[in-house]
Amino acid sequence: MADFVMEARNVYKTYSIKKIKKGDAACNVPVKHQVEAVKNVSLQIRKGDIKLIFGPSGSGKSTFLRCMAMLDIPDKGEIYLGDECLTAPGADLNKARARIGFVFQHIYLFRHLTALGNVELALRQVLKLPKEEARKRALDALNEVKVSDCINKYPAQMSGGQAQRVGIARAIARNPDIILLDEPTSALDPELTGEVIDTLRDLAKEGTTMLIVSHEMPFAREVAEEMIFYDEGKVVETGPPSLFFNAPNTDRAKQFMTRIINRTTRE
Amino acid sequence: MDVWQQFIILLEGVPLTLSISIFSFLIGIVVGLPLAFIRVYEKEISFVVDAYEKIFRGVPEIVLLLLFFFGLRPFFPFPFGNAFFVACFVLGLRSAANQSQIYRGAIRGVGDEQMIAGMSVGFSKWRAIWYIMIPQVFNFSTSGLGSEYALLIKDSAYVYVIGLAEVMTRSLQLAKSGPGDYVTPFVLGAAIYIALTFPFAFWLDKWGNKRKKKIGL
Ligand SMILES: Nc1ncnc2c1ncn2[C@@H]1O[C@H](COP(=O)(O)OP(=O)(O)OP(=O)(O)O)[C@@H](O)[C@H]1O
Ligand SMILES: [Mg+2]
Repeated sequence: MADFVMEARNVYKTYSIKKIKKGDAACNVPVKHQVEAVKNVSLQIRKGDIKLIFGPSGSGKSTFLRCMAMLDIPDKGEIYLGDECLTAPGADLNKARARIGFVFQHIYLFRHLTALGNVELALRQVLKLPKEEARKRALDALNEVKVSDCINKYPAQMSGGQAQRVGIARAIARNPDIILLDEPTSALDPELTGEVIDTLRDLAKEGTTMLIVSHEMPFAREVAEEMIFYDEGKVVETGPPSLFFNAPNTDRAKQFMTRIINRTTRE
Repeated sequence: MDVWQQFIILLEGVPLTLSISIFSFLIGIVVGLPLAFIRVYEKEISFVVDAYEKIFRGVPEIVLLLLFFFGLRPFFPFPFGNAFFVACFVLGLRSAANQSQIYRGAIRGVGDEQMIAGMSVGFSKWRAIWYIMIPQVFNFSTSGLGSEYALLIKDSAYVYVIGLAEVMTRSLQLAKSGPGDYVTPFVLGAAIYIALTFPFAFWLDKWGNKRKKKIGL
């Protein structure tokens, strides 16, 4: 059991959203509409693993990642962090989240704090480290992602690439058991993507355990042990990069790979 | 009594008008912030906040002042026997109901993402509110708080009904005691109220713009 740093077992998540159905102008009735974003997904991650989830937009990748961190509570299924079942009643989710690093697609730095403040806050107030040590670890983390030059800048004053690297520093500074990254580069201009990918490559070299949602295929090929093709709330196909880059078994994966590789070569 | 003498008498009421308004404003912050966050993030008990807001926004404060002062004084001479306390208590709780609505809009402005980011680093909901949401909420509420403060300065005039010698009470006394000059005391009083209202709202606006610039809004 404790073989795995993190494990998801048969996780389900459905959103019900109210949509306004356009009937007669007089009777726009709200209709309950169900979106099954995660349907029976299982996944295991060992220490040092780098796994990469990819798939079409709206297929539920972000939802699944949020469920892993219990930022969204799964409807069904279990999430384990080491030996601890996070979906069991009474699990200390705040403590668990402190052991999980999360990097967001849209970065979500704390806007009222400098880069240093962003990284330091949880070290001080969650891990309760003494001031000196928190400062040192925050600076180390910022140094590691090569943003030492903007430690005193506010998020609004940074480039997207700098901000996302600060986001990564915020996630790694706590020395989490695993880092979950939700499309860390997809909101960035192409020329800024590279610097963030370089940072991730460095983390990979150090043996950081990571679950990454990404469509950066060259990067995936280089660092991922396993790629997971995700569509319509389900894992469709799993395998090493060589499988997907040569001949995926499922048609859907084949089509998706062709589309994505054409797109990257056109750029 | 010449105009100048009247003016001095009214000015002596300013500290009381100001302190009632400022204390009420502070009570409004301390009570209004949690109300707003309960309303947004504790859906199961938000009906309590709704009821609170309806009562304190729906009942005229003059009624509340009379009720708490004359109604409760016999039963709880401490603290309701103290008119200054009752004034700050009533105006403060009413302001909390208004401020709660101001902050609710501001919380939406700060955005749920900030909350999620806070929880992702290990904060509980209420600690994320304290360390991440509250420091940002004021950036989004300066204009609302400016008008709320102006409202408090104005509404502090109602406390004349419980006999506090602030600006309004003094104007009334001057008007009644003079030889039928009802104009001068109230015009002077009006001028004082205006003078008290604007500097703070002006400063708050400037502060807000500076903060917004810093965080890039
Ligand atoms: N908080 C929410 N409330 C309601 N519906 C949601 C919520 N979050 C996601 N959804 C819906 O769930 C589905 C999956 O969304 P999700 O963001 O997980 O997809 P995704 O694979 O990450 O897409 P993308 O590649 O565009 O980021 C979508 O249809 C989305 O509209
Ligand atoms: Mg997504």
